Amino acid sequence: MKLGFTKLLIVSPSQFLPDSLSQFDISKEETDKLVSEVIRFILFKFHQSSGTPIKREDLTQIVTKNYRQRNLATHVINEAKKKLSNVFGYDLKELQRARSSSTGQSRLPQSQSSVDSKSYVLVSELPLEVFKKHVVDETTSPVTGFTFVVLAIVQLAGGKIPEETLWHHLKRMGLHENDEHNPVFGNNKQTLETLVQQRFLQKEKVSGPEGSTLFYDLAERALDPQVSEKVKDYISQILKNDVAVVELND
Amino acid sequence: MASLSWKHHTLIQALISRGPLKEKEFHSIFTAVTGRNPVTVKKIFDKYLLEINKELSYVHFELKACRDQYDGQVCYGVVNNVADDQSKLGTKYSVPQIAFFKGIIEAIAQDEAAQGCISSFDALNIRLENQISSEASSSQQQVPPAFKNFSMTQKEKTLDELVRDKWLCRTRERNIGLGIRSLLDLRSWFRNNDVPSCEVCNEAGVKADLCPTEGCPVRIHKYCLKKLLSQRDDKRCSGCGKPWPLSKITKTEAAEEAMNDEEESETQATAPKAKRRRQQRDSTENGSSQASLASTSGANTRRVTRSVGHSR
Repeated sequence: MKLGFTKLLIVSPSQFLPDSLSQFDISKEETDKLVSEVIRFILFKFHQSSGTPIKREDLTQIVTKNYRQRNLATHVINEAKKKLSNVFGYDLKELQRARSSSTGQSRLPQSQSSVDSKSYVLVSELPLEVFKKHVVDETTSPVTGFTFVVLAIVQLAGGKIPEETLWHHLKRMGLHENDEHNPVFGNNKQTLETLVQQRFLQKEKVSGPEGSTLFYDLAERALDPQVSEKVKDYISQILKNDVAVVELND
Repeated sequence: MASLSWKHHTLIQALISRGPLKEKEFHSIFTAVTGRNPVTVKKIFDKYLLEINKELSYVHFELKACRDQYDGQVCYGVVNNVADDQSKLGTKYSVPQIAFFKGIIEAIAQDEAAQGCISSFDALNIRLENQISSEASSSQQQVPPAFKNFSMTQKEKTLDELVRDKWLCRTRERNIGLGIRSLLDLRSWFRNNDVPSCEVCNEAGVKADLCPTEGCPVRIHKYCLKKLLSQRDDKRCSGCGKPWPLSKITKTEAAEEAMNDEEESETQATAPKAKRRRQQRDSTENGSSQASLASTSGANTRRVTRSVGHSR
């Protein structure tokens, strides 16, 4: 009897940990610290890089620099995802991988041609109306507008457009390729480049008989159903308005 | 894991995306999402902030309130309490820009007249070389080329950016003062740099009225002084015991101010003072002012916001 009782007391401390932690042989405090570091990295980095997706390997490194346990990084990132949702109301959204390039064309930069690493963006989970009314920072509105216009142009061109043609359309709206002192955007070319960094667009060089041409394709974030639906709605609204104007003129 | 509601999330995201907000605006968001007036249901409002701070502490953030020392209005903001590798990612400012900013806040904070500002001319003439770490040995004290080449035009541009991002402000007289972000974020920096505190609220007296008695170190914020004079019969300075000059503030003005301020939260949203002091950490260690979550710069800045499709 006494022996049996003693046996009950001789248990591994990990038995008292939640199932998810016991497999890693790591305390809750240590896990919390890692989760906290990952969340802080995501918030600061996403903010500092103006919404550029965060590479999974950057998050993994926070864990692996001090811990070797297999799958611990995955566990920590999943916990961070839960916390970001519960505390901040942000969804840590995983981006789909880039499509592999077909023959005769190469993605720019080269490192993008085989994007094995996952990446993440932060998306607000708030109801759209609440978000628009209380959260949207009005100083970012022009950039959002620019993004929508560019995505709409590329969408109407079939999801792929030569750089020259894109600038031709933007020029008609008063946005010149070489304008580095736009009162709203500053450097227009850089603003377009930001959309590539944010993975709304991707660059592609296509070799042809007259040399290579630079194309812009819709990238992961633009192909996300939630975004592409909004862009399509936006296009149809404009077309409806145009039709209405034509009818009035008739 | 206790989950906050979408109402809490709206308050947090508004402050993260838009930066510090005046009390009136923050209250209006609270009213919009809860349907209640925070002035009449102060307990509920405070409970919301307490719940938010309980969760934010997990990532060393805090929802704080503080007064803008230039207009006396209460502002709210989400601030970072720990300077670490992660928070160093939080700035879009370059090393010379940060050194320039540090030079400005030092000049403002060390002003013995507690005017809370310096002229634009003085700000633009701040020498970046003075910001090189004094601990560095003389052999290492080479002025970095980035500091040497930091032109007047770059200083002007940086000044505009710092004002736009609320790290600095322009006073009515077009002087340069501390912005609400600095007042929220640099509390412990003021303490560490021995900036005298206001006798009434114990916050740094960056812009304050000084006791006119020579040698008396007492300083009080104008809004604190108005409140104090409306509440106390004894108008003597607590430092030297001499009567506080009432010429600057009429009794009527003081009484009006007190009525307006009655409902306003005095300083921080939640924690009691002693606990608060213990919790405060230097969010701008190494003089970087890097640690604020919402420091921004650049024309096409995107803060932590919904992706372009405003996806649900």
